[in-house]
Amino acid sequence: MFRFQSLDEDCTLEEEDDGLIEEEDEIDQFNDDTFGAGAIDDDWQEEHKRLAGLDKKDELTAGDDESADPRSPLDNRLSLPPLGFSSSSALQSGDVEDKVSEGGLAESLARLILEADPAVAGVGAAERPAVPSPGSTSVFPSLHGLLSQSTSVQQQQQRLSSVAPPPAPMLSYQQQQHLLRRGTAPIGQMNSHSIWENSLGFGPVSVPPGLVTHMEDSPLMSIIKEVGLPKRPPRSDEGPDLSERVPPPRSSSPVIGSPPVRAVPIGTPPKQPMSHTLNHQIHHPTAVHVRAPVQHRFPAPFPERLSPNTLLNIANSPLCRSPFPPRVGPVLSQIQRAQLLNSQVAGFPRGAPGLLPGGGGFRPFFGGHPPPHAHRMVPPPPLGPPNHTPIRHNTTILHPQHRRLLSQRLLSRGGDQSRPGLDRRSRDPYSNLMTPKEKDWVTKIQMMQLQSTDPYLDDYYYQNYYEKMEKRQEGERDSSSRKEHTTKLITPQVAKVEHTYRPVQFAGSLGKLTVSSVNNPRKMIDAVVTSRTDDEEKREKQVWNKRRQILYTVEKMYSLLLEVQDFEKRFLQVPEEERQTLLEQHKANTEQLCSALREKEWDNRVSDEQCVMIMSVRKGKRLVSRLLPFLSTPLANAVVMAIARNFPTLAKKDKQDQVLFWLVEPVSSVIQSLSSSLLTDLLQELQGSEGQLSSVLHNKFGVTLLYLILSEGERMQSSDPNCQLMDDNRWTELVFSVTRELLSVPASSLAPPLFTPPNLLSLFSRYVDRQRLELLQDKLQISALSR
Amino acid sequence: CFYSALFYSFFKSLVGKDVVVELKNDLSICGTLHSVDQYLNIKLTDISVTDPEKYPHMLSVKNCFIRGSVVRYVQLPADEVDTQLLQDAARKEAMQQKQ
Repeated sequence: MFRFQSLDEDCTLEEEDDGLIEEEDEIDQFNDDTFGAGAIDDDWQEEHKRLAGLDKKDELTAGDDESADPRSPLDNRLSLPPLGFSSSSALQSGDVEDKVSEGGLAESLARLILEADPAVAGVGAAERPAVPSPGSTSVFPSLHGLLSQSTSVQQQQQRLSSVAPPPAPMLSYQQQQHLLRRGTAPIGQMNSHSIWENSLGFGPVSVPPGLVTHMEDSPLMSIIKEVGLPKRPPRSDEGPDLSERVPPPRSSSPVIGSPPVRAVPIGTPPKQPMSHTLNHQIHHPTAVHVRAPVQHRFPAPFPERLSPNTLLNIANSPLCRSPFPPRVGPVLSQIQRAQLLNSQVAGFPRGAPGLLPGGGGFRPFFGGHPPPHAHRMVPPPPLGPPNHTPIRHNTTILHPQHRRLLSQRLLSRGGDQSRPGLDRRSRDPYSNLMTPKEKDWVTKIQMMQLQSTDPYLDDYYYQNYYEKMEKRQEGERDSSSRKEHTTKLITPQVAKVEHTYRPVQFAGSLGKLTVSSVNNPRKMIDAVVTSRTDDEEKREKQVWNKRRQILYTVEKMYSLLLEVQDFEKRFLQVPEEERQTLLEQHKANTEQLCSALREKEWDNRVSDEQCVMIMSVRKGKRLVSRLLPFLSTPLANAVVMAIARNFPTLAKKDKQDQVLFWLVEPVSSVIQSLSSSLLTDLLQELQGSEGQLSSVLHNKFGVTLLYLILSEGERMQSSDPNCQLMDDNRWTELVFSVTRELLSVPASSLAPPLFTPPNLLSLFSRYVDRQRLELLQDKLQISALSR
Repeated sequence: CFYSALFYSFFKSLVGKDVVVELKNDLSICGTLHSVDQYLNIKLTDISVTDPEKYPHMLSVKNCFIRGSVVRYVQLPADEVDTQLLQDAARKEAMQQKQ
């Protein structure tokens, strides 16, 4: 199947200017896109025959034929498609030239067929007996056959009529006859040179063959040609403009979903000031997106920058030294030098490389004080002790606390080291490979990837870690020196852009286009996410063992807890409008948390069982300790009661972990807010049934808890003389029993508490006599001096 | 949408601390963590090879850059890690992933 289109558009002859070629546009545009503008869709067999035929014709060739236009075979070949097309366009344009060239092509084709296939000739002979010469007889019908073949290809377009106009073939036939009798051929001109010339002529669009060699030098041009192809102006004699059917050039696909087109693409290295001489070689007039201009580095003028190799060659060749620097300098020295930042270290600026300090000499990264230049041409570095300089960190991205820590550390390490290598460093052969601008550019690209829409979430661990550290340090210091503001880490925050892809739709068309690009990648799998509902989860849970069930509950509660904890922070950040929703969400979360503690949904009381269950796991204890401050007061009280009530169980379960002490702080805060009656209740719960108190006393946490309660009671009594603690006798009795127990328990089994509240002594002094008081004092090691 | 944010954040907080990095080729390098990036590439300074110098080619090396993909373990100082915070961060990351 002939692809006439490619022949057409590659040829610069007039006959290509044919309206009917437009119909081929759509098809062959894709061909060109795929195979490139230079693709030739030739039948290799024909080529071979042509070439083979050369040998024969060459012998026949007279010298005068070489003056013939080497393009004439081209004419011949090209005239056939207009033959087919111009069957209708002849009606329109009536180009005489076309007919002439038609005949030429037909004739050459005819020759081919003659040479090629006797079967065809035979067929032809059968059809047209009227033709005078047998040889030429075959040509005409075969030619006609070819014509019809070609027209059938084009018959998608109805403009084409399958009628071959009579005059043209006749002409061609005559021409062909004439030529045949001549025996010489433009084929004779088709020596190998002309062939290649022709094939070169099939190269890029509208380029005269002479320019081809130049074209092939810069591949960029071919890209531009490709890109430029669809932009051909529509033919004036055309009905519907087919250029719309050509896909837009990829370089500027618009809103559809591809990333925004930049004048200078992201990956462009920074422009170098010295390469003006090279700029004219780079063609980028229209190609916006295609390629970044490549900057050549090493043809740089001599003094500015040299590769280590050239450097060393210069330095060492006349001196006949070994080309390799004997010292192994630190690889990071370059980076260290580059990162002279807000370092609080009284650092030593690294010496610049000791080459000619040109205008483009090294400059530190963020404009620190310029390092001293060593004005040396030849750097033969002696072998010296390894490098001891402190290494710079890029501290802009660190939390100020972190920065302080680092600098302290560096100071402590670098202070006691000698400085022998100062001069040696200045002769680092690997320096100055990149300008500060380039380093900046590389860093920018890397940092761009780190931009996040929610730095608090993305960088959760780091930020919180240093916040906590700061708080800790503040706490350790005297509270008198408390800072007004705590140092905060400012992170760059990129606005979150919603990238919902909306498929492009042309007005009046059916359906939508889907263009996949970076921002809208194509869907590979049509997977639907089905998350199982909670009910199903519960049913499945029953299959698991109890422990896993507990863990699962704990984890769910944890996620709720974290949300609740972050609520305050987010509340401050979120704009006004969204605060209400946030608040509601917060309430819902807390509600869910509370309900998790209850056994049944409708029951308002805290389920003991549930609490104990949760606290039987280590994680659960931690959870409860963190949860307690967020619970409402009655709930919190209930939880604490539950703890006291079920103390033995808890103590038993905690034997391995020993982490009940986590509960101390939150519980103590709860206790301090208890009313007196509740406090009494609590104490009662703690004492519980027979023997519970002894187990309490055996446990560290238990003792602590006990003390907490007692001290709270004491505080109440001493602060408020009218307090109701003494209204009924319960409190007194309870304290009595406690003291009894304390005295009876052997000292060794008494667990030491986490801390001893100071007012215990005063408490006991109310209830017991002096002797017992002293005993208690000894046992419990309560100091008489109250702090 | 993957966990590197968590680990990156975590390692950032360890910058300046001493760690031991064990590589997949069984080389263990002890050094001070100089920096880390989002691919968990690690730069160590003042390094020494922990095992009895089975790797003599490392004798003269003071600083190194380790590609993240070749790391098997990183041994950390225990007191520099807040496990509770780490747990919370992991839970948050898991929550984010689910959404």
